[in-house]
Amino acid sequence: MHKSMLFSAALLMLGGCAQKGLYDWGGYSGLMYQNYKKPESVSANLVLLQTHVTALEGRSTKVAPGLYADLGTLYLQAGDRVRAVENYRKERAAWPESAGLMDGMIKTLANNPGEEKKT
Amino acid sequence: MKAFIALLAALLVTGCATPVKTDLSAFRAANPRSILVVPAVNKTLNVDAPNYLLTTLTVPLAEKGFYVFPVHTARTVLEQEGFYEGDAIHQQPPQALASLFGADAILYVTINRWDAQYALITTTVTVNFDYRLVSKDGTELWKANKQMQYAPQNQNAGHPLATLLVAAVTAAMTRADPNYLPLAVMANEQVFNTDATAIPAGPYRLVN
Repeated sequence: MHKSMLFSAALLMLGGCAQKGLYDWGGYSGLMYQNYKKPESVSANLVLLQTHVTALEGRSTKVAPGLYADLGTLYLQAGDRVRAVENYRKERAAWPESAGLMDGMIKTLANNPGEEKKT
Repeated sequence: MKAFIALLAALLVTGCATPVKTDLSAFRAANPRSILVVPAVNKTLNVDAPNYLLTTLTVPLAEKGFYVFPVHTARTVLEQEGFYEGDAIHQQPPQALASLFGADAILYVTINRWDAQYALITTTVTVNFDYRLVSKDGTELWKANKQMQYAPQNQNAGHPLATLLVAAVTAAMTRADPNYLPLAVMANEQVFNTDATAIPAGPYRLVN
């Protein structure tokens, strides 16, 4: 009997409470963890995050909160101010809640042109 | 068999029910759209714990429907303002922090435990966090404490001596590299979503 019924009941139990994910994170948390754990992996992680974001844009899928901005900050720390500002603008466009912070970041970068920040 | 099906049915009925205990009236009144997660206060000896914890908080809160400020960017901005440690950041007026970022609410976490206790053949890994969400006007919206523990099960290798050996090897591996991160992820998941402390859904969860 009814193995299939039991199976679907079990599935319901597993899936019943789980909410559908809103975003495709593309391993964002793991990349950020690696940035702290292995600082030498930061530039490789930047490439991975950029690849993920580019793929989402290609599929017209909404990029999760903070991904553009943190990608921008990784670019900034790698000395690429143009790409940093580009990503801050994208974060601002995607998420109106970020406007204050992103405007501040963009303004600071515009006001201090030659100064390179490295961390 | 019938009893088994009845049990399944009972689980189905009760599986999702969460007892309502936490007072969420202040949370609902403030109705925050965005949450700033600041670096945690660390009461443990593990200096990496706050950095690691910071990487686990964005996903559960964003999936709950809130805009979560980019944690790496936020940390960088705070450092530019001269704040490197959770202690100093937690002592700032929440109003000032919220206005610096344009945030509706701030999540403060204190790490009480992030340790591995060693015994002969087993190792118990423990994390314990105090969470506190404060609105941009300084009102406390929600708070909770959560502890998670993990002790590798003694694997039964058949022969008593072999079982002991397997357990000792497992304990040694846990000792060499205790895996705190999955515990932290589980603690966050439960405290925000499935415990009696679960928080209301944010605007992006509600519109979908």
